[in-house]
Amino acid sequence: MALPERKTDIGPPHYKQFMPPVIVNNYGKWKYHEVLSPSAMVHVADSGDKLWTVRVASPRILATDSIREICDISDKYCDGHLRFTTRNNVEFLVSDEKNLEPIQAELKEKGFLTGGIGAGISNVVHTQGWVHCHGAATDASGLVKAMMDELVDYFTTKRLPNKLRLAVACCVNMCGAVHCSDIALVAVHTKVPTIDHEKVKNMCELPTVISSCPTRAISPDPAKKSVKIKEDKCMYCGNCFTVCPPINIKDPDRDGIAIVVGGKVSSLRTNPKFSKLVIPYISNEPPRWPKVVAAVKHIVEVYADNARKHERVGEWIERIGWESFFKLTGIEFSYQCIDDFTFMRDTLRTSSTFKW
Amino acid sequence: MELTELQDKIFAFVEAAKGKKKLKEKDILKGVSAAEGLEKDEVKKAMRAMIDVGRLMYSYGGGASSVEIPSEEYLREKGLIK
Amino acid sequence: MKKYDTPLLDELEKGPWPSFVTEMKKAGQKNEMANDAVGHLEKCFKTRIGYWKHGGIVGVLGYGGGVIGRYSEIGDEFPGVAHFHTVRLNQPSGFFYTTKALREICDIWDKYGSGLTNMHGSTGDIVLLGTNTAALEPIFAEYSSRGWDLGGSGSDLRTPSCCVGPGRCEWANYDTLDVIYNLTQEYQDELHRPMFAYKFKIKAAGCACDCVASLARADMSIIGTWKGDIQIDQAEVKNYAANGMDINSEIVGMCPTECMSYDGGELKIDNANCKRCMHCITKMTKALQPGAERGATICIGSKAPIVVGSLLSWVVVPFIKLEPPYTELKELIRKIWDWWDDNAKPRERIGEVIEMKGMRSFLEAIGIDPQPQQIKEPRKDPFMFYTDEDIAKFKANEAEEKKTGVYKF
Repeated sequence: MALPERKTDIGPPHYKQFMPPVIVNNYGKWKYHEVLSPSAMVHVADSGDKLWTVRVASPRILATDSIREICDISDKYCDGHLRFTTRNNVEFLVSDEKNLEPIQAELKEKGFLTGGIGAGISNVVHTQGWVHCHGAATDASGLVKAMMDELVDYFTTKRLPNKLRLAVACCVNMCGAVHCSDIALVAVHTKVPTIDHEKVKNMCELPTVISSCPTRAISPDPAKKSVKIKEDKCMYCGNCFTVCPPINIKDPDRDGIAIVVGGKVSSLRTNPKFSKLVIPYISNEPPRWPKVVAAVKHIVEVYADNARKHERVGEWIERIGWESFFKLTGIEFSYQCIDDFTFMRDTLRTSSTFKW
Repeated sequence: MELTELQDKIFAFVEAAKGKKKLKEKDILKGVSAAEGLEKDEVKKAMRAMIDVGRLMYSYGGGASSVEIPSEEYLREKGLIK
Repeated sequence: MKKYDTPLLDELEKGPWPSFVTEMKKAGQKNEMANDAVGHLEKCFKTRIGYWKHGGIVGVLGYGGGVIGRYSEIGDEFPGVAHFHTVRLNQPSGFFYTTKALREICDIWDKYGSGLTNMHGSTGDIVLLGTNTAALEPIFAEYSSRGWDLGGSGSDLRTPSCCVGPGRCEWANYDTLDVIYNLTQEYQDELHRPMFAYKFKIKAAGCACDCVASLARADMSIIGTWKGDIQIDQAEVKNYAANGMDINSEIVGMCPTECMSYDGGELKIDNANCKRCMHCITKMTKALQPGAERGATICIGSKAPIVVGSLLSWVVVPFIKLEPPYTELKELIRKIWDWWDDNAKPRERIGEVIEMKGMRSFLEAIGIDPQPQQIKEPRKDPFMFYTDEDIAKFKANEAEEKKTGVYKF
């Protein structure tokens, strides 16, 4: 069968053709919204028109047949309109209030998980992991699934002082906003890479490899027409591996998971913050990563018990102080938590006033 | 300069770097425009026309994009040679 | 089709959260590639290591972005994933779809690929996971003839993305959806043909809530804001109080600039001291609205940790009006790219180049004056550059002061 003629540089379709009439009619004229439950909210326009949104979790990886099942529900209750969120949730856009209860009932019956709206845990931003990435030190989808099975109540019903944003990065490249999440997992390497000199010679541009190193641990090895790595300078970031595959950083027995907390991207109340390291290493234990999951759950619970209403994790910790965070959580403070890289000057304490 | 002549010069420039340096698009524009005393935009247009017909191609490796001479495999896959 | 034994992945089909393994198996029931992807992943779980090679050289004719080559090191064992390339489709602004459009995307993908997708990738594209090299041109012909184009990858403009904006949010200070659609159309060449030193990301957020994480992961973060007084509906303030909100503790007490007061009657805001953080507006959405003069703050430079640490975007243009056809914004973007192009080494993001060359060099190149809104605090060290022109200007000012007898600081 002949293929249709290709077109180039047409860009994405215009978004307005996909919007339900209630949005087209009230575009830019929304007055307020109300969260009705963790699963549903209503937006009210200046005109008085209303739009109900029902949110469900997706596992980010979706088979085409699952997308079609989502479409069937949208056809039935939303005149075929829906959207996705930046955190991989599906949002059914309900224009008629009488469909609000039935769609939620049908979603429940079909096994969809509704929730994720308001002060709880929404879906998890994450990377490709072993499913599809060459650089992955762990599997991101697997970690998300294991973690959310334990935290699912915070998605569906249980509330927290404020939103709590989770993220998972399968290496320190951190595709996604892991570095500014309330709690995030990042897979780390912990061992100096090994070099296949024969292949380096043929496959890699040496100046690129040398300049890829943030700690200047890589220098030329003229004898081998390759490079060498100064072991005591290497922080195992793997950037050399990214630019030069024969420099192998992967090590199943040593790769692990670090946990960082207290980041945020919004400017509400306090400025956006990076997440900070609190647990430097937990072994990589697929398929369920029990210790990682337990650690995250523990931090969530300590936050839930101690933070004030509307405080994000990072705001709560800044109010009480990091020394109190370690005390309250019982997490052992380790050398890795003290910055000896680019942020050292900003992060060491310069006052004798702190809490015991 | 005739378009075909310019394209031959661009091709020669890329060929000379083959196996030595991965050329970014801007390396080619800079190098050829300086050598031939032409505007970068003119070189760009000529180079793009070559990429559109598979005489050159965009490549990716070492975490960055570059412009290269296509392999036979690529040309075969695109139906440009048998 | 080969049946794989997957005891480890089966563990991830248990439990209440939707399972990606179930999705992969579902696609695998009717697709050889997806089936082999399941077996391949089980092996990763068992050995705790990945088997994908670095990206390879694939793409559609004429484009340098939009397809990410992916090959397995163990393609002999799992032939269905020997080639398993990703195709990125440029999503519509705000991720709005009709079911007709989604079904069309699925039908084409089932015909040529694994049937596995990500809705969506971190950057915002519709990610189609897993196809072979021979299918790339047909895939592009099928999608592009139906109005779908490829997104970015490699050293190019990555697919711009935005929050839901005026489509369904009362806090959108500018039309995020239109800005992103407009910029994406304007820069099709930069999106499809890698001409930069490295990637460049643009993300548009309608307010300081930043639902698209723009400030943390976009080389250009466009954050909506306003000038003028927050608009207050005092009757609605009373309703919040009547419905049990402790306005003094939850709103006034959490205002970072202490610019609010409430005595049980009227809520008062000292707007000159408001820094527009959105806390009060998001908590009292019926009663409070942003001021009338709407626009955005442009911040530049954020990125993830590679190479020498994460950056958040820095304020460069404190306020810009954003109205079609966005001429001022587009001129600014061109100037930014020109400076970056002139100064970047390979694989250097714009934030890193600003760190190397200094903010002054950047501001001068794009024609933006230094302003206190750009910094948290001034320089702390006494090591700084003076140009002859700077000194001449200081001296000229002093000569003027001697004439008038009035000091100006």
